[in-house]
Amino acid sequence: MLSALRSRSSSLLKSPPSSSLLDQSWKKLLALSASNPPSFSSSSSAARDVSEVLSVPEVEKILSDVKADNVIVIPTENQSCWADVTIIATGRSDWHLKNIAQALVYKAKQKQRGEKHVMLPCVQGYDTKWIVIDYGKFVVHALDEKARVYFNLESLWTGEPASANDNSDKDLQNAFVKVRPINNSKKKNPAKLSS
Amino acid sequence: MIQPQTYLNVADNSGARKLMCIRIIGASNRRYAHIGDVIVAVIKEAIPNTPLERSEVIRAVIVRTCKELKRKNGTIIRYDDNAAVVIDQEGNPKGTRVFGAIPRELRQLNFTKIVSLAPEVL
Repeated sequence: MLSALRSRSSSLLKSPPSSSLLDQSWKKLLALSASNPPSFSSSSSAARDVSEVLSVPEVEKILSDVKADNVIVIPTENQSCWADVTIIATGRSDWHLKNIAQALVYKAKQKQRGEKHVMLPCVQGYDTKWIVIDYGKFVVHALDEKARVYFNLESLWTGEPASANDNSDKDLQNAFVKVRPINNSKKKNPAKLSS
Repeated sequence: MIQPQTYLNVADNSGARKLMCIRIIGASNRRYAHIGDVIVAVIKEAIPNTPLERSEVIRAVIVRTCKELKRKNGTIIRYDDNAAVVIDQEGNPKGTRVFGAIPRELRQLNFTKIVSLAPEVL
């Protein structure tokens, strides 16, 4: 037993490159967690690994391969602290949306074939009009056409809140005009007086 | 610490103003709901001329609580109000924008849609 243990430990000691790599990765993780303290340690580090698997251009290529319409890539580093890049794509039907999500997961799986720990992106909202594929550093939104118009994510992330505000103001003004009751009591009296 | 009969503010533009919790979803005999939990609620107050009306039963996700939220790194977050975002059965938000600060725990609890609509993530 002891000899076996010794041999194992020696074999571990004999492989310095892997251990040093591990150390470096740990140091990197520690440094990253120190640089932004509010981020979560375990889950965010796992998410980082997934985002390293696939890059943004690769995701764009996959989206063009599955014929997703109207793909927009918005860098959101300055605006949000939780995602560097937001990618928005439109699908023609529920099946198409599902296929987009499955393609993105499948490519990530295929790229990590043979590795010990396979990192997969988090997919939310299967069988709905809005599927979110969360890679950690960047997030892919696949929406139905109607849902895309309804939620209008582009205007939210490209920093054009002015138009939205104007519309809401107009709506509010219209609402007030409709709600205000017509005061008939004062109108009738002068008419009667004149007659 | 949200329990049945608790009144909550609404943190989105769905049209509801005030909610009252009537049930916590997830366990049979649960006492309190916290951030990220789904509740069944009644709309107690709504803005006129909107799809949602008073006394309608809906589902909502709690996004802010007065009860403090502890993180593993020692941070404590507590808000001034109890607030929720109205969702449908599939988990899509009913409104198109979320107001106010929102904790990043919601992302781990699979509410990335709400987080992506929010202006500020703590």
